[in-house]
Amino acid sequence: MTNQMSSQMRHPNSSRLFQHALSPLLTFGLVTTAVLWVAPVQLSAQQPAPAAQTAQTAQTASVEEHVRYLASEKLAGRLTGGPGETLAAQYIALQLERLGAAPLPGHSTFLHPFEFTSGSKDVGTSLAVNNTTTIEGTDNIQALSFSDNGDASGNLVFAGYGLRVPDSDDFGYDSYATLDVKDKVVVVLRYFPEDTEGDVRASLARYSGIRYKALLAREHGAKAMLLVTGPHSPNGGQVMPMTFDTAVSGSGIIAASISGEVANQLFEGAELNLADAQASLDTANPHVAGFALSTSVKLDVKVEREKRTGTNVIGMLPAAPQEAGSVERPWVMVGAHFDHLGQGGGGNSLADASQRTAIHYGADDNASGTAAVLDIARRLGGDERRKARKRSIVLALWSGEELGLLGSADFTKQAAATGEPTDAHRGFKLEDVAAYINFDMVGRSRDNKLSVQATGSSDAWPGLLERSNVPVGFDLSLQSDPYLPTDSASFHRYEIPSLNFFTGSHQDYHKPSDTVDTIAYDELDRVAQLGSLVVRKLSENDEAPKFLQVQQTRQDAGSRDSVRAFTGTIPDYATEIEGLLLGGVMAGGPAEEAGLRKGDVIVKFGAVEVKNIYDYTYALDAVKVDVTLPVVFMRDGERMETEITPRARG
Amino acid sequence: MTTIKQIATLSCTTIHGLATNLGLATLALGLLAVPVEATEHAAEESAPAAFTESDFLKRSRRLIFDGKRSGEGYFSPDGKQMVFQSERIDDNPFYQIFLMDMETGDVTQVSNGTGKTTCAFIEPGNGHVLFSSTHHDPESARLQKEELDFRASGAERRYSWDYDPQMDLYIVDPATSNERRLTTALGYDAEASYSPDGKWVVFSSMRDGYDGELTAEEKKILEVDPSYFGELYRIRTDGTGLERLTSVPGYDGGPFYFPNGERIIWRRFSEDGLTANVWSMKADGSDQRQLTDFGAMSWAPYVHPSGEYILFASNKHGFSNFEVFMIDVAGTKEPVRITNTDDFDGLPVPTPDGKQLVWTSSRHAGKGAQLYVAQWSHETAMKALAAAPLRGMTEEGSR
Repeated sequence: MTNQMSSQMRHPNSSRLFQHALSPLLTFGLVTTAVLWVAPVQLSAQQPAPAAQTAQTAQTASVEEHVRYLASEKLAGRLTGGPGETLAAQYIALQLERLGAAPLPGHSTFLHPFEFTSGSKDVGTSLAVNNTTTIEGTDNIQALSFSDNGDASGNLVFAGYGLRVPDSDDFGYDSYATLDVKDKVVVVLRYFPEDTEGDVRASLARYSGIRYKALLAREHGAKAMLLVTGPHSPNGGQVMPMTFDTAVSGSGIIAASISGEVANQLFEGAELNLADAQASLDTANPHVAGFALSTSVKLDVKVEREKRTGTNVIGMLPAAPQEAGSVERPWVMVGAHFDHLGQGGGGNSLADASQRTAIHYGADDNASGTAAVLDIARRLGGDERRKARKRSIVLALWSGEELGLLGSADFTKQAAATGEPTDAHRGFKLEDVAAYINFDMVGRSRDNKLSVQATGSSDAWPGLLERSNVPVGFDLSLQSDPYLPTDSASFHRYEIPSLNFFTGSHQDYHKPSDTVDTIAYDELDRVAQLGSLVVRKLSENDEAPKFLQVQQTRQDAGSRDSVRAFTGTIPDYATEIEGLLLGGVMAGGPAEEAGLRKGDVIVKFGAVEVKNIYDYTYALDAVKVDVTLPVVFMRDGERMETEITPRARG
Repeated sequence: MTTIKQIATLSCTTIHGLATNLGLATLALGLLAVPVEATEHAAEESAPAAFTESDFLKRSRRLIFDGKRSGEGYFSPDGKQMVFQSERIDDNPFYQIFLMDMETGDVTQVSNGTGKTTCAFIEPGNGHVLFSSTHHDPESARLQKEELDFRASGAERRYSWDYDPQMDLYIVDPATSNERRLTTALGYDAEASYSPDGKWVVFSSMRDGYDGELTAEEKKILEVDPSYFGELYRIRTDGTGLERLTSVPGYDGGPFYFPNGERIIWRRFSEDGLTANVWSMKADGSDQRQLTDFGAMSWAPYVHPSGEYILFASNKHGFSNFEVFMIDVAGTKEPVRITNTDDFDGLPVPTPDGKQLVWTSSRHAGKGAQLYVAQWSHETAMKALAAAPLRGMTEEGSR
């Protein structure tokens, strides 16, 4: 599961185009793959037999064997684009081969490479002020990671916080309402008005993402955007670090962050200095506007992006021959991501600083889901099952999920754009996919519990799950919300009914301690059993599930950088309960300091009544760093109260 | 504390008396609140606290997810099939009858999709399905549409069971869909179940209310609460030999045979319909004995296959807080509480091997109750019964 969810995942139109370069991996034949793959202990594959023969003779591996190999030391946390990911992809491809899967139509290999931006660095961005001074150096100015390369000149306009909150949100706010910024360069403050509270603060926070600010500036005709962290804000005056932001290109604007000192220089001669200007805005009075500065600048952004290649592994179990057009949407897809955080986590690690460069094994996240999909392929392989099958089953093991659903987003985008179906089962088009079933973190079932998420995406799901679960007997929790931080979202945006199986978040999430010894293998096997029954019914039924649109609880136009406050709570997503059940608290975090612990149910946070995870996220948006808040929670049936002091995120 | 509305969303035959009484409760709510609170208090003092829900029920989980609500799950003698009622088809808002294959999870619809149906039971030996239906009523299509339109309007009302006088008993062969009508009398015929040898069907009927011989006072009662006329009957599976088994004013319903076929367990409402108790009698209607006396609504009894004890539901812990209880077959001990979870728990039915319990619950905080299943600890049940104190018999209870 990815802990970032950019707004792009929800808005297909804003998704960037991946340029597909031919990767060396694409040219690997399957036999080559087998040779490169170094076998886990139970198989002696030093001299593997040719693939065709292997498929008939090799014993199929168990879910435990899959997890133990994928989450082993050797694979070093399977970072997308790294050697561990390559080994994992080769292992999975060999397993698919052995299980009798075939490459997708039009492909000769299971390996589907995609290119992505793995990082960016500033290589000499500069700002010329009034044609006299030139500002350089990353302590003074640095490109924003999503900025276009190039230069832009113009007069400066201070656009306040550069925010717009749609009127529909009970509260209207538009920094650009009275400003003409066409062909100008705008200066905007980071974050959102600081002296706000409650609903207003939450609304502002939702729309304060930096990418969203850049988009607004561009929409209003600005040629470039300069971002400054105001003196009243956390980390005031500091240049923003170039975060690892995978959704990097295509912002269509030149943008950089500047230090407070540089900003002061730009404000020389203006009606207010930066500090006073921020102070005038901090109540979020919608009638306080920005103003033109008497400075002109030329911004020259120089940013270099590192491109790497990730690899999805995709195979199929064909259906029995069907007459063309006889089956509605003749494909079913089942998938899981196999990548994880590698060593260092690229900013996604939740480990203590001392542990951040250790291997993040990702046994639960998501060797478990990968093993489940391979085991489903094992259960549904063979001629007997094929005879009953009306829809072909695509087995998709994604990479790049932890970096922002990159692998599945690339695949769905390609499949939506291309694909020339010749008959019911030869071509492959995304619109022919009846459903997508995802497995992300399914190795930690406790007390027979299993969550199935995104069940609101079709009214076929409750019945199908009910029937499939009868012989398996999980204590199922069905959760309607399809807006999930995992690969099912890549399908949901194309209106394909989807499900995600999930055994819950835990203390070891995105930490090196997510290891093979923590996996409940017998339960993982049952997850695969249930998954195979669901996929089997989808592939054998005449009808395809109908897609249903689920109303999103709140817009999330801002990105995660608007949630600045750190509370150290670990929500338990798996249990449906009124309030927010804590699956744990982070050691030394504000929640622990407040006396909160695992099992507590937060029912009120600050002024916000918490009925579900959304209320809680919403409540977090509205809190201020270092401002103490009351928290009401239930413990052992008793209503209790404490105080928590959120901190700035480290 | 749950609200009245929550229980009212539950709907199943054995709770019909309850639904009606809730209808009456709009008038009599003030009256009811007092005795129930008093009972609750008394119960807490006397209930043995040695056993909790998780001692009896392991690995509890929701069995049914499809549709708005479901209930009344009963098993074939081999335990491989479960028949149940569920609101889950598109063009009919009322319950229809379904069979679930407990080995594969496959679900097939048994009733024909028209009208209201309820209370199914599987015939020993041939797997035919007995249930009540109004599908012969020419008004069915209109009633379905009216209810669908009402629900589409977004309006909500308390669920109420209308004791549709068109309800008659049918037996359907699921393999062929061939049906046979077992009863034809006007008045609600429902809540039917087979004797273990499959030769008899015992059921509740309100036909007395429609025989044209009502006094003025009885006519008034029929308008408010037809269940007042509910009496138990038995009839041979071939449709012959109809016999009346009870004749006491007030709703008698929900009859089931003991595993050995010698006796019948059922629940009898008081004449005013405000309380109910579990009773047992011989299969011919003689030797009627009252087993519970909570002064609350105790209903939906079912005998465990061991023949040792009876599972039932009662709201003794609060007007709308139904929980599952058990009592020894002779009713000599104080009932033992089984469930201890918020919201409705009732209609307990053990599987034929006695190792699992299926019941109806709204513990998922959803709008409609659904079937749940758990592993049942017979061993714990026997220990808890042994430890239960003897019941203080009331004058009424000893008759």
